[in-house]
Amino acid sequence: MRPRAPERPKKKVFFRRRKVCKFCVDKVDYVDYKDTKLLQGFILERAKILPRRISGTCARHQRMVQQAIKRARHLALIPFTSD
Amino acid sequence: MRTYELVIVADPRLSDEEMVAMTEDYKRMITAGGAEIVREENWGRRKLAYPIQKLNEAKYALLFVKTGDKNPLPEVEHRLRQNDKVLRYLTVRTDLEKIPPTPVEPAVPGAAAAAPMTEER
Repeated sequence: MRPRAPERPKKKVFFRRRKVCKFCVDKVDYVDYKDTKLLQGFILERAKILPRRISGTCARHQRMVQQAIKRARHLALIPFTSD
Repeated sequence: MRTYELVIVADPRLSDEEMVAMTEDYKRMITAGGAEIVREENWGRRKLAYPIQKLNEAKYALLFVKTGDKNPLPEVEHRLRQNDKVLRYLTVRTDLEKIPPTPVEPAVPGAAAAAPMTEER
């Protein structure tokens, strides 16, 4: 009788909720750089741009968000960094 | 025939009148150059997200410009760059239809119009 092989941890099955691009849901076709309220939601606390893998934004809309954030930063509407 | 947005971020030490006078100047330049001002917004004094030239606030003005055959904006931009009262500017081509009337009317923090803010720090 051989000793039983140490039990291998069962493969974890976890359900990741599928993220949907909120802009696609709202059928947005332009992200305005002046809309700081919206853009604030797409920057992390260090003021970095929130990555797609977290926000679930689709590529097309992420590009728009990115463009808008960069414009807003230039005008000092939102920060480049939080000190 | 294209529409552009032009945002001017100006020195907050300009009085409201000076600010208006300055934007009027640019507007005249634009109309003289064969374009038309479709819409304008004055955001007043706003807090900056980061200091520019050691200033923590600035006055914002926004113009929507519709160009005709000629586009006066390169010339206007050239002048904006030379004006040291202008901290930043941005011109962006837009579809006017896509832009909601005033997306977010930015809140002017505390110091409304009257009190001439001294520059801090």
